[in-house]
Amino acid sequence: MARVNNWQLGREMSYWYPESRPQKQFAAVFDTNKCIACQTCTLACKTTWTSGKGQEYMLWNNVETKPYGSYPLAWDLNLLSLLDGQNWGEEGGKPVYKGSTIFESAPAGERVLGWRPEDEDYAYPNVGEDDCAGGVEHGASIEIPHAMAWFYYLARICNHCTYPGCLASCPRGSIYKRPEDGIVLVDQNRCRGYQECVRGCPYKKVFFNPMTSTSEKCIACYPKIEQGLSPQCFANCIGKIRVAGFINTPDKAEADNPIDYLVHIKKVALPLFPQFGLEPNVYYIPPIHVPTAFTRQMFGPGTDKAVEIYRNAPNDQDLTSLLGLFGSTEAIMRKWKRVGDKAIGMDENGKELVNVPFEEPVHIRPAYDKLYQITRTNCP
Amino acid sequence: MRFVTSLTILALLFATSCTKIQVPTPEVNVAQVKEITLDPNAAVWDAVSLHASKMILQDLVEPRLLEPSTSEVMVKAITNGSEIAFRLEWLDASQSDMPGPRHFIDGCAVQLPSKVDSNVPAPQMGEVGKTVEISYWRADWQAIVEGRADNINAIYPNASIDHYPAEAKPLENNTQAQAETAARYSPARALGNRRSGPRDQPVEDLIAEGPSTLSPAPSAVSKGKGVKTAKGWAVVISRPMPAGFSAATPSQIAFAVWEGSHIEVGARKMRTGWVPLILK
Repeated sequence: MARVNNWQLGREMSYWYPESRPQKQFAAVFDTNKCIACQTCTLACKTTWTSGKGQEYMLWNNVETKPYGSYPLAWDLNLLSLLDGQNWGEEGGKPVYKGSTIFESAPAGERVLGWRPEDEDYAYPNVGEDDCAGGVEHGASIEIPHAMAWFYYLARICNHCTYPGCLASCPRGSIYKRPEDGIVLVDQNRCRGYQECVRGCPYKKVFFNPMTSTSEKCIACYPKIEQGLSPQCFANCIGKIRVAGFINTPDKAEADNPIDYLVHIKKVALPLFPQFGLEPNVYYIPPIHVPTAFTRQMFGPGTDKAVEIYRNAPNDQDLTSLLGLFGSTEAIMRKWKRVGDKAIGMDENGKELVNVPFEEPVHIRPAYDKLYQITRTNCP
Repeated sequence: MRFVTSLTILALLFATSCTKIQVPTPEVNVAQVKEITLDPNAAVWDAVSLHASKMILQDLVEPRLLEPSTSEVMVKAITNGSEIAFRLEWLDASQSDMPGPRHFIDGCAVQLPSKVDSNVPAPQMGEVGKTVEISYWRADWQAIVEGRADNINAIYPNASIDHYPAEAKPLENNTQAQAETAARYSPARALGNRRSGPRDQPVEDLIAEGPSTLSPAPSAVSKGKGVKTAKGWAVVISRPMPAGFSAATPSQIAFAVWEGSHIEVGARKMRTGWVPLILK
């Protein structure tokens, strides 16, 4: 194995291939606080890519309720139980992962630490939907503020990892990472359906197609990316929880890059299970109402700080304005800036794509409308 | 009727027990016959010498097979001068011929050097510059060739499908549009990946120059047929005679077996080393 740098771990790690970062790396930020689990993203993906024979059970994009939801069943718990000692330490004031990754803890004879879901594990994509952690005492539902019986929604696509587990697992080299944008693809002409990638992806975002005997996965809608457009699950998100773009490594972070700003500068968006060691490129703003004892395991040691930063967003005009750009345009915003009370999204040449006021004007209407001589009810 | 059936079974058992036990030969001797058969139960095989090939774990490259399964494969071979057929039989209590997540398929393969040469390629799928030719039989392809439907209900009988775009009402009288739409949701088939079916033979022709280099052969020339026996599989794989192989110039052959229920797939397999292949 080669030694590579994984900035999410704060250290080098072992990987099957030498470090080879793409010219640009596709990345995304999902704001879990805004997701309502309407599954519009799921259906947008399903109808676009996986409506064929053999793809019936596949959801390249899914939304699951945490803590109890998971698709395929227990994708996270199964790997967490296999991976020993997921402890974080600190060196020079920065977090450093002290445990082993799936590559470093690969058993003898295997390329990575992994497990294989059975077909039944895909049969309950909505298991645990809206089930909250802990019991709800009688009457608690009408208490204000609510007792903290929490749940939240986790929308998931392929993370187009810097160090993909699927790519490392494939003994045939049938999986590749595009040098131009870092999107991870299965070569459908070369794949022989060994399902090693299904076993090796800890996020379980590669799916075996029993009709073609090949494995298939999220392609980040690369035909749209090539045209400067966001993937279908982003463009169709009615909660506007997602923003797509490209991420730099922390040492090359650019403040006018929306993803860099959220991930590297504000550190409000965090990777999903960074301890797995894949350097995943979908980042999550953690839910602010969930005990961080839970979310810290999921999003790493930056969770408490990220929650604090997000809670302070009303006092942070830059952050507020950038959050307002989420879902504001189908075009991929390569740059952004705040001008007064507006957030402006731009293409890579600085041309304006969209502008969004981050404080909507408030109109107060009298209850009685003299013009129409009616009394209005107090609804929007 | 039940009495007649019982008599038939008894007669078969008697006939089986009276079959002459063959002493295996250390090499695969190819018997010359008039006609090649793909039927593993054909009488022609009875008179052909038997080779019992000991199998070893594929434990050289990751992912490895760590627990052994199939211990040996019984091999017989015949030729009509232009075609050569191999009959492989091995023990496998389960029948694994349904693909799916964590479902793997029973299979077997024969491997020959592309050139008859005393300096043989590495038995582990050849090496750079020393290509091997592989004929690979799979139990699911056998089932499809014998008529199992090429749809999800054949695998999951209770599956309920809302809609396939290729079967949408506006396309029902336009077979070309249906095919184009189906291809859009089946990239492996659209690209012509021979692995992805549908198939008219249960055997696939492949070439390799070492582990991880397995590729489709330039043309599909192998045929075959496999039947599930009471204790395992009996499979016949036929292909053209290897170039340069004759009574005067023997070659080498190697075998591999995959037991699907043992999570054997790809490199996770039982294999043999090279075995002398001799034309009698």
